Amino acid sequence: MTDEREAMSPTKIGLGILWPAFWTGLPIKLAFVLVFLAMGVMEFEGRIGLAFIMLLASPVTVFALPIITMGLESHIGEGAGIAFLFLLSIPIDIWALGVVGRTYFLEKFRKEPPDGLGLTLWWKCALVGAIFLPILWFIVGTVTSTAISLAHSLLDMEMLKGVPVAERIGVELALWGSIASAVLIVLLLIGVSLIGRIIRSTAAAAPSASENYQSLVTRWDLMRVPADQGLTFAALALGGVVLSVLFWASLPVTTPHPHECCKKPDVKAQPPFKPLEALNKDEKLIVQLSAQVEALEKKAEEEAQGKNKGKGKAGKEAAKAADSNAPVQSGLRKQ
Amino acid sequence: MAQPSIPSTQPTAIEKVVAFIDERVGLKQMQAKMLNEPVPGGSRWAYVFGSVLLFIFIMQALTGILLMFYYVPTADHAYMSTQYIIHDVDYGWFLLSYHFWGSTAMVVCVFAHMSQVFLWGAYKKPREMIWLVGLALFGIVMGFGFTGYLLPWDQRAYWATTVGVEIMDKTPVVGDFMARFLKGGPTPGQMTLSRFFVIHVMILPAALMGLAGLHLFLFRSAGPAGPFRGTPEEIRAKTDYFFPRQVWKDIVGMATVFACICALAFWEPVVLLEEATPDPGDYHPEPEWYFLFLFQMLRLKIFAGEFGQFLGAVALPGAFMALLAALPFIDTDPERNIFKRPIALIGWILVMVTILLFTVSAIINREFLD
Amino acid sequence: MQPQLKSKVRCTDREIGEVTKVVVDPLSHEISHIVVSMNGSGERQVAMGLVQAITEGGVQLRSPSSEIVALPPFKRDEYVSTHDVEIAHLEDHLHVTPGEVLVPFPELEKSVKRRTFFMNFTHVVGFLIGLPIAYPILRYLMKPMYAPFDNRWLKIGNVGKIKQDDIGVQFKYKKQVKEAYLPEAEVEKNVWILRATPAVLDKVYQGKDMEFRDATGKSVWTNKKDIPYVAFSGKCPHLGCGYKWRQHKLLGQVFLCPCHLSIYDAAGKVLDGPAPRPLDALPIQVSASGDVQIIDMEFKAGTKTQIRII
Repeated sequence: MTDEREAMSPTKIGLGILWPAFWTGLPIKLAFVLVFLAMGVMEFEGRIGLAFIMLLASPVTVFALPIITMGLESHIGEGAGIAFLFLLSIPIDIWALGVVGRTYFLEKFRKEPPDGLGLTLWWKCALVGAIFLPILWFIVGTVTSTAISLAHSLLDMEMLKGVPVAERIGVELALWGSIASAVLIVLLLIGVSLIGRIIRSTAAAAPSASENYQSLVTRWDLMRVPADQGLTFAALALGGVVLSVLFWASLPVTTPHPHECCKKPDVKAQPPFKPLEALNKDEKLIVQLSAQVEALEKKAEEEAQGKNKGKGKAGKEAAKAADSNAPVQSGLRKQ
Repeated sequence: MAQPSIPSTQPTAIEKVVAFIDERVGLKQMQAKMLNEPVPGGSRWAYVFGSVLLFIFIMQALTGILLMFYYVPTADHAYMSTQYIIHDVDYGWFLLSYHFWGSTAMVVCVFAHMSQVFLWGAYKKPREMIWLVGLALFGIVMGFGFTGYLLPWDQRAYWATTVGVEIMDKTPVVGDFMARFLKGGPTPGQMTLSRFFVIHVMILPAALMGLAGLHLFLFRSAGPAGPFRGTPEEIRAKTDYFFPRQVWKDIVGMATVFACICALAFWEPVVLLEEATPDPGDYHPEPEWYFLFLFQMLRLKIFAGEFGQFLGAVALPGAFMALLAALPFIDTDPERNIFKRPIALIGWILVMVTILLFTVSAIINREFLD
Repeated sequence: MQPQLKSKVRCTDREIGEVTKVVVDPLSHEISHIVVSMNGSGERQVAMGLVQAITEGGVQLRSPSSEIVALPPFKRDEYVSTHDVEIAHLEDHLHVTPGEVLVPFPELEKSVKRRTFFMNFTHVVGFLIGLPIAYPILRYLMKPMYAPFDNRWLKIGNVGKIKQDDIGVQFKYKKQVKEAYLPEAEVEKNVWILRATPAVLDKVYQGKDMEFRDATGKSVWTNKKDIPYVAFSGKCPHLGCGYKWRQHKLLGQVFLCPCHLSIYDAAGKVLDGPAPRPLDALPIQVSASGDVQIIDMEFKAGTKTQIRII
């Protein structure tokens, strides 16, 4: 009896259906994620955690995500693959919500699950998500940035200026982190509770299931065993094989992210060192270059003498020319 | 046990083989004993982390063995052979990245598994020994992460190890000996690489396999603890066997973790920094992410000075581990419902939040290093 | 007492059969039902609550036989035997089979003295296998751990590079090292040298010449306190990172270690941060032409006292 009373809390209902539904769909979505990543149609440079959560919670995020991306100019990744992935998530989520919904109706509500429960739950979640999540995103974003600047200015106060770096970071993080987390959790719970309310009203309309507890449990347990096992396994195996072959074909053979900073150094074969040849070559080069320098110096002197009567600018130019010879000279010295 | 009864008089070839083995080793009974373990309250997704950890270990061993086909553990060749794997061997980058992210997954799952056991009160009587062996396994997993990190021999690897071993040196009496033993000398060098390689590839796997076997044996001896709330009627209604239901959940958990590690390997494949040099240059040493919270803690002023460093690096973590080890003997209240154990719940939340706080602080602190 | 299998079952009016099976609850590990044979006319499952007393000879029920006969027939399919499942410790406190199953005790094992002797002998032999290899293994593993010090003088540059007093100047040099079996390699190291004004010099030496001794106590070198050049080991005494010479917004020109923000002044004294001791000075010789030589030493990081390790 206590079960039924507890199950009636909308937050509990919302969590009780959303949490299992998220995780039920995830393994299948991940299979597609891998193939898309291998094909290179998806990139998540930074916010992979966020992307994971968005994908995990795709019944509620499927419409919210485009709104957030376009409307609020936030960005979780690049590539056509992301949009395609969320499209693929729709049938997966409908199925997952169906399984979880029917289980919950039988065990917790002790009601007969209506037909098409999966689809019903899906569009309701998607709608709530589309409206609620952008609002949540905006509020949490604003609260977080406000809290960060508040914490920052708090620690910039005169009497707290001497706080050392590590402690300062910790304290600031604790301050804005707890505020932002609290707001996020509260808003999430409100959202979950909203969905719970909607589900509860759907359940209120459904007829009662009359069996005892063990029979109900047996029913939802056996519900998971497909009528045609052979077909199910054949389809699963075939789908898996197709995805695997796609994966093998598109997996990059060498690393897709070589990163500019630290490329593998190219080992070039060193030409053999012949000392006598090198000496002779260097001597010849020195003679040649000294001759060049002498010629340039002579030219510079002549120019300086010629233009000295009058324009200072020309003198400066000559001086510049003489200066430009200097690196050549120091270059020679190094050799 | 899963075979449907075939209404024919002649046994099939498979049935004859099974009967042959069964006559000699009691196969059917052994199978029944191993697989038909009722899980009170039914199989649960929350219970998959132990099996997932075993799976991750097997994958690490497999990818590790594959890496050893090309990796050479000498200071001259460690870096180049790792670069060779990344750039030249077909899909080498993927296997190495899988191995790297697999170690992260292992640490995450270890925390998840320990948390699940703690929250479910499954360390209490009669499961004290399982908990103790589990703590040893936790230490081994951390050891794996620490020793493996050095092997690519780039700046990040070399310096994270140097700093880590110096911290270990702070232990009184045995610290100097332990640090020199690990380094194979007064400073890190070839000897260090050789020792870390042996520890990572031979000693720790052997220890892990032995202790994991013991862990499983002790777990089977005590039986699964089951849920911490529910009437006997509810628990009885949902009870099913370990095989196939829990095993199926374990496999799905393994598949999900496998997919996550692969996805991570794509998102951030392993990229080496420059080869290790005795002078860190512009590089700021940093340990692996799961040691970052300790690293950041040691930056606090209260842990300054020799005694302070010992306190923060050795004494406090040591005391915490000792507390965890003593837990089943201190907490003798048979109540397992986490919502009726406020100290345990608050303690767990505090520890997790503290670790998270310090880890994120360490990441933020990177910008403050000139 | 627990109901014994094959014991007789009596109702209030008559005997109805014997105990053929016992049902145990998997959660509480207690006997929940007995199954009675009903003398061949269909077994019945009887809850332990209906049992009034259990004696040596049998089980006494508190109901008349008519009630028991009226119970539904026992369904064997709803149960599995303990050979088909694994429930930990289920049969630990179960004593439903009267009698024992025995095997003969070997004559030789009857002597306790014999057993004790061979047990101890096994332990001793095992120990004696382990003992001889323990010491060689320990020495084997410890070989590279305590190497003797190298006190060679290394030329590292010329002080002409130093343009100003009390400014840290980094001197990079290469040292030939031979580690174990490896071919001799060149290691890049660095020290920070300053040309110190007498004030700073005084802070470094504090009125005493700096003596460097080896493990036996013999003096290796003495830095005279009036030589204006000071060389600091390039490794921060906190945890061994390489530190830099930087402009700090509050403290001016200092040595700053990026790892944990240890800050030292020009004389190497700790201004801020977790460093446990000042910067380590090295033996230094400056020739008339300005060529600098140092003995490359390294000291254990993180300790208050200076302990040489290389």
